[in-house]
Amino acid sequence: MYRLSVSPHIHSKASVSRIMWTFIVALMPAMAASIWFFGPRALYLEIISVATAVITELLTGLLLKKRITLSDGSAVITGLLVAFNMPVSVPYYVPIVGSFFGIAIVKQLFGGLGYNIFNPALAARVFVMFAWLPEMTTWNAPLTTSGFSKLAGFNFSIDTITTATPLAIAKMKGMAGLLTEFGSKMGMYKDLFLGKCPGCIGETSALALLLGAGLLLLTKIIRWPIPLSYLATVVLICLLSGNDPIFHLLSGGLILGAFFMATDYVTSPMTPKGMILFGVGCGLVTMVLRLKGGLPEGVSFSILFMNALAPLIDRYFKNPVLGVKT
Amino acid sequence: MWYSGLKIKTFRTGGVHPHEYKGLTEECSIINFPVPQKVIIPLSQHIGKTAKALVKKGDMVSEYQLIGQKDGKISANVHSSIPGKVVDVVMACILNYQVLSVVIQLEGEFKTGNLKKDEWEPLKKEEILKRIESAGIVGMGGAGFPTDFKLSPPPDKKIDTLLVNGVECEPYLTSDYRLMMEKTDEIVEGIKIVKKVLGVRTVFLGIELNKKKAIKKFKDRLTSESNIHVVPLKVKYPQGGEKQLIKAILKRQVPSGGLPFDVGVIVSNIATVYAVREAVLFQKPLTERVVTVAGTIVEKCGNYKIRVGTTVSEVIKEVGIHGPIGKVIMGGPMMGINVSTVEAPVMKGTSGILFFSEKEARSIDYSFYKPCIHCSKCLEACPVNLNPSMLSILGEMEKWEDMKGYHLQDCIECGCCSFVCPSRRPIVGWVKAGKALSA
Amino acid sequence: MKIQELSKGLFKENPILVLMLGLCPTLAVSTKAIYGIGMGAAVIFVLTCSNVIISLIKDFIPDKIRIPSYIVVIATFVTIVDYVMKAYTPELHKSLGIFIPLIVVNCIILGRAEAFAAKKNVLDSFFDGIGMGLGFTLALTLIAVIREILGAGTITLKLLGYGWIVEIPHLNPMIVMILPPGAFITIGLILGFSNILKKR
Repeated sequence: MYRLSVSPHIHSKASVSRIMWTFIVALMPAMAASIWFFGPRALYLEIISVATAVITELLTGLLLKKRITLSDGSAVITGLLVAFNMPVSVPYYVPIVGSFFGIAIVKQLFGGLGYNIFNPALAARVFVMFAWLPEMTTWNAPLTTSGFSKLAGFNFSIDTITTATPLAIAKMKGMAGLLTEFGSKMGMYKDLFLGKCPGCIGETSALALLLGAGLLLLTKIIRWPIPLSYLATVVLICLLSGNDPIFHLLSGGLILGAFFMATDYVTSPMTPKGMILFGVGCGLVTMVLRLKGGLPEGVSFSILFMNALAPLIDRYFKNPVLGVKT
Repeated sequence: MWYSGLKIKTFRTGGVHPHEYKGLTEECSIINFPVPQKVIIPLSQHIGKTAKALVKKGDMVSEYQLIGQKDGKISANVHSSIPGKVVDVVMACILNYQVLSVVIQLEGEFKTGNLKKDEWEPLKKEEILKRIESAGIVGMGGAGFPTDFKLSPPPDKKIDTLLVNGVECEPYLTSDYRLMMEKTDEIVEGIKIVKKVLGVRTVFLGIELNKKKAIKKFKDRLTSESNIHVVPLKVKYPQGGEKQLIKAILKRQVPSGGLPFDVGVIVSNIATVYAVREAVLFQKPLTERVVTVAGTIVEKCGNYKIRVGTTVSEVIKEVGIHGPIGKVIMGGPMMGINVSTVEAPVMKGTSGILFFSEKEARSIDYSFYKPCIHCSKCLEACPVNLNPSMLSILGEMEKWEDMKGYHLQDCIECGCCSFVCPSRRPIVGWVKAGKALSA
Repeated sequence: MKIQELSKGLFKENPILVLMLGLCPTLAVSTKAIYGIGMGAAVIFVLTCSNVIISLIKDFIPDKIRIPSYIVVIATFVTIVDYVMKAYTPELHKSLGIFIPLIVVNCIILGRAEAFAAKKNVLDSFFDGIGMGLGFTLALTLIAVIREILGAGTITLKLLGYGWIVEIPHLNPMIVMILPPGAFITIGLILGFSNILKKR
């Protein structure tokens, strides 16, 4: 007797672990940038977060009697992204609780890899954000000398709440306030692009994130529709509402969100049309929250909101089956 | 380049690029396979009704003798491929399902050589069709659609084009390629015969660019023929699928549930065209075909002209296998069916027999599939634009009826979705089960 | 027999964890342990009294207007509770707010009236009311304690100046737990655990 199986009998090299580990490699530039700009504490946060995620995945896997899926690296991604979404000054228990919540509750209890409704990292971020709002909105200036080094008043030792990130400044004082902090407009763009500004450790450096995103796009692990429509919507709304589109593109977690979180396979639609709609929706919600909301940033909320709509989008935006008349 | 001036075509939606492995047998000329001691000839090697058995246990048969009578419109004659004695007429396990089969033990003399060649030009259309019918010719690309039925489309369908399928997009397989290289003139003659039967003006011969020699050969041969065009095609699986080929060459879309003649096209495979010629000129029934035997553990890979009914065990004996066999696949690796026993016979639609080593077989183990991560790779690969991800999830939950809502019946089972799936899900298996269980 | 009617509400047919009734006040008021107890006491009183009365008058109620009749009975007792609480524990009354009057349409009470009291005798209905009320109180207080510990770092068991407020040391409270999402997460996890226990 020979082995029996259904066709096809050959397979491409694609595998879940290959995708996930490439994704992790793509996050490395941003991780390096986070350490460069925020010092070793950023690294500690990342290590703690990843370790918690991995251990939680292992323990919940054993408890729920699931096949242990550690080797596919998805827990590492979640852990890294959770850490990326935190200011450098958070106490160490914040990433621990965040990663635990993301893996145990958002991912494993909903059925594990492939079944979660919400992006675990983002849900974790929102959870810890509302759990410890002061800690999560205390921003540190980057270590390197920049326009922000003179903002000593925004150091986390002083109980300032939401006036440190560029987006918060834009919200409070408008463009004039930004220009006084950064000096000139070009200087502001440069600092934002490189990542020399306060913010979550993984989101500030657009350069590093774009390097990783380039790798993901080249290896076809993520597709262009979601990020492109997301960013395009943001630009369009900025132009329509008279805001600076480049500032809004480079500040906050938009690049990280558009390329690394909105594109999460499990929680985004599957058809090109659905992906574009998803991206447009993310952009809309982001800009509404940024311009009209109470908090300065809206990327995580917008992606989570669209996550909830993804199954619906999949239902109504199907690919036209060839030969079937609609 | 030499083929400049020819427009290179392909289909737009989906498709994958598996490693070809054609080098194993590409340069192997067709060799006659020795006469087997025993053949198992299934009476259903085609789509439609099983042929009626005309022989019983103990009967003596001669080569080319009719042993299965066509039953109804969609059915085909079956002939003995060797002279001998009928050992048994039983239900035998063919491609993992039971089919009534005639088992013949070699005995007596071959009477080959007395086939005389006719001229086909004076023959009437009806006479040609009758000869094709009595020779039991079926589509030799795999599906096994009776050719006489295919070549007599309903009168309300106007056929304007004949497509000859020389694509052979499955990896490993080179049997059609070798036929094209070695029997160029015969194939052109066969094309003309089919063209006459259908009364069409234009014929396109689609060949993928990985068979440049064949393209060149046919292009040179067909310079004098104004209505038969060689179409080079970009290499992409599953271009050999009827609907994909029609889309690639003619940009016409076969409607869901329809057949090629709904858009005025008939598609015929190279091997079938060759068999048609033999049937019409020599009145020779379809009892042998060219089969690619390949695999990394096969000692004498090659293209063999094998008699229908020859069992895998005879093939193993002849070609020599080193190392344990993990999988035996009848057909190509993408759509072929793997068999569990060495008693499985070569049939009219068997274009290849592939032997995989234990290691190669174990590398694709669908019993350890992972959950769908919704990566949408399968949606991109699907040549019909289905949602294989959803089909697989519904299949996993055994919701066969719900699968119909996702156009289950339009699936061509090409395997592109499983091929690219990072979670290695047996999507095709679920689709096949769904088609069987939701009916 | 009677013990069964009493005990089934505690675990086997716990209104919140098993029957999934009365989730609306559960989600809203379970922010402090004392609210759970206060709300539970109000429900025990209303449930027991209305169960008894409805069981007594069940034969006189025309079938077509039974729901309005039940509501009249229930509303009477709710009004009593509402005024008593307003008079003696104004603090608690203020915190529970609209959820006291809303006991009228609480599905536990209507559900028990329709499903139990309208069919069984007075004594059974009495024990059922107490059992169900206790079960509700228990589950509600459990949720409230968990949410209060995680969300505020305290356990409040103080009413009218009596009792204690326990403070958990070295805990940075997670504000989200006393916000609505915290209620959903807690109740979801407790339901999950109770289902695991039930399966064993």
